[in-house]
Amino acid sequence: MSYLLPTLTRKKEVDTIVRDTIDKVLVLRFGLAVDAVCLQLDDILAKTARELSKFGAVALVDVDSEDVQVYVKYFDITLIPSTVFFFNAHHMKMDSGTADHTKWVGAFHEKQDFIDVVEAIFRGAMKGKLILNCPLPPERIPKYQLLYKDV
Amino acid sequence: MEEDIDGDLADIEALNYDDLDSVAKLQKTQRYIDIMQKVEDALGKGSDFSNQGMVLEDDPEYQLIVDCNVLSVDIENEIVIIHNFIRDKYRLKFPELESLVHHPIDYARVVKKIGNETDLTLVDLEGLLPSAIIMVVSVTASTTSGKPLPEDVLQKTIDACDRALVLDAAKKKVLDFVESRMGYIAPNLSTVVGSAVAAKLMGTAGGLSALAKMPACNVQLLGAKKKTLAGFSTATSQFRVGYIEQTEIFQTTPPALRSRACRLLASKATLAARIDSTRGDPSGNGGRSLKEEIHKKIEKWQEPPPAKQPKPLPVPDSEPKKKRGGRRLRKMKERYAITDMRKLANRMQFGVPEESSLGDGLGEGYGMLGQAGSGKLRVSVGQSKLAAKVAKKFKEKRYGSSGATSGLTSSLAFTPVQGIELTNPQAHAHQLGSGTQSTYFSETGTFSKIRRT
Repeated sequence: MSYLLPTLTRKKEVDTIVRDTIDKVLVLRFGLAVDAVCLQLDDILAKTARELSKFGAVALVDVDSEDVQVYVKYFDITLIPSTVFFFNAHHMKMDSGTADHTKWVGAFHEKQDFIDVVEAIFRGAMKGKLILNCPLPPERIPKYQLLYKDV
Repeated sequence: MEEDIDGDLADIEALNYDDLDSVAKLQKTQRYIDIMQKVEDALGKGSDFSNQGMVLEDDPEYQLIVDCNVLSVDIENEIVIIHNFIRDKYRLKFPELESLVHHPIDYARVVKKIGNETDLTLVDLEGLLPSAIIMVVSVTASTTSGKPLPEDVLQKTIDACDRALVLDAAKKKVLDFVESRMGYIAPNLSTVVGSAVAAKLMGTAGGLSALAKMPACNVQLLGAKKKTLAGFSTATSQFRVGYIEQTEIFQTTPPALRSRACRLLASKATLAARIDSTRGDPSGNGGRSLKEEIHKKIEKWQEPPPAKQPKPLPVPDSEPKKKRGGRRLRKMKERYAITDMRKLANRMQFGVPEESSLGDGLGEGYGMLGQAGSGKLRVSVGQSKLAAKVAKKFKEKRYGSSGATSGLTSSLAFTPVQGIELTNPQAHAHQLGSGTQSTYFSETGTFSKIRRT
């Protein structure tokens, strides 16, 4: 699964891919290649990558490599898998009814859900918005508990 | 050649003939005897390729082959004449046989076998004809209207059959000889279609140059047999293939591609024949390259189509939506259009407080509804635009008549709630346009001014 999508391990690679993906939604999945939920998400990403190829691009970032820890810290990635969306080097936020709008935590239920999310992000971004509502109904959004430090 | 033509003409003029010799003269001609003798010798000698250096036309063998070609055509014609003769004689005995067995040589063999026999169960036709035709022949023979022939007529008929068979054997010999020399005469053509078929094609066409002059579509049909129906369906019959059918390439193509292969073969064979007729390539390389081409093309036809890749989704909002129009769409939209009632409720008159559902400014406001003075919230239904046009046409049609309307029409409107309401049903709800009764935007209006010049 993960050998079908490009895996990034260096900061430079992440930089180039964010900069060079023009007019397409960039989906960066932060996670490990061995985690079960990660694998589920990777499977959906791999299967839909070709269908979204005209307006989207998908890449995987290995959260264990040291080079990328800068980004792990920047995006505050604690639960894996976490997916961050970019459009023309802008970070796209999405309100899915959870506490964290900057990323998507967890896997998707179906391929169609993922395609819907990417399409919504694309439409919003083409209109010039940087934060959007999630098109999925709440029962299809994986719930998680955010653990705050020292709370 | 001339004597044969004269013989034919004489034959047509004098339909009653008794003697075969007056008609079928070929076997007696010197030419025929000479050529047959030479062919026998040459066949006995075996192939002799030592005279490659000589120009072809001077080679006596080549001349012989040209003569053989002409002769084979002549033999063919002769066989047809003899076939007619046999047919005419045998008609008294078994008239239906000629329509059942078309091929002249088969007919001659069958006639020889049956002879004067009336009962066909005693005659064994196995091996002469396909079994289905034997069956039909036997059945027809049992109900035939023919009578047994007199002895001398029968003898003449059997003689004619023998002659036909001899001619057929001679033709075969000639063709065999040509075939054995084919690699020398027409190397390219023999490489493409094989020497046997090449010999047959040349024989039927009447020479190499004649074959070269034919268009490829004719070459395809050389030697095509006419369909023998005999009650069989034509669904399985091979369509429009002649001697080409016997080539090795044709036999090895799958049945689905056969008609295309036949056309391809015919065209390449014609090209090869043209090369050979001008002796352009004595080594046969042209023929080999043509054969390669044919093989490659047939291979390509048999390739499976390329695998279908799933299409990626189109970019959202990149393709403009195709908007439809027309009467149907307008009628559909009418169902969701804003009604007059809602329009009235949305507006308010200046200086006049509107009523509301819960009274006193609470609830939904009624706007100008119910302010016409009648004190009720009922608005007469305004006609939809489409219905207005139809109604207008209908009005014109109706009042265009002599005006003799039925005396039973009334302007009463019956409402379900309050019984009879005396309203004019043809008045639209004009509260909307009460300010200026302009007909500029009227749905039923006509042109205001038509200047006739």
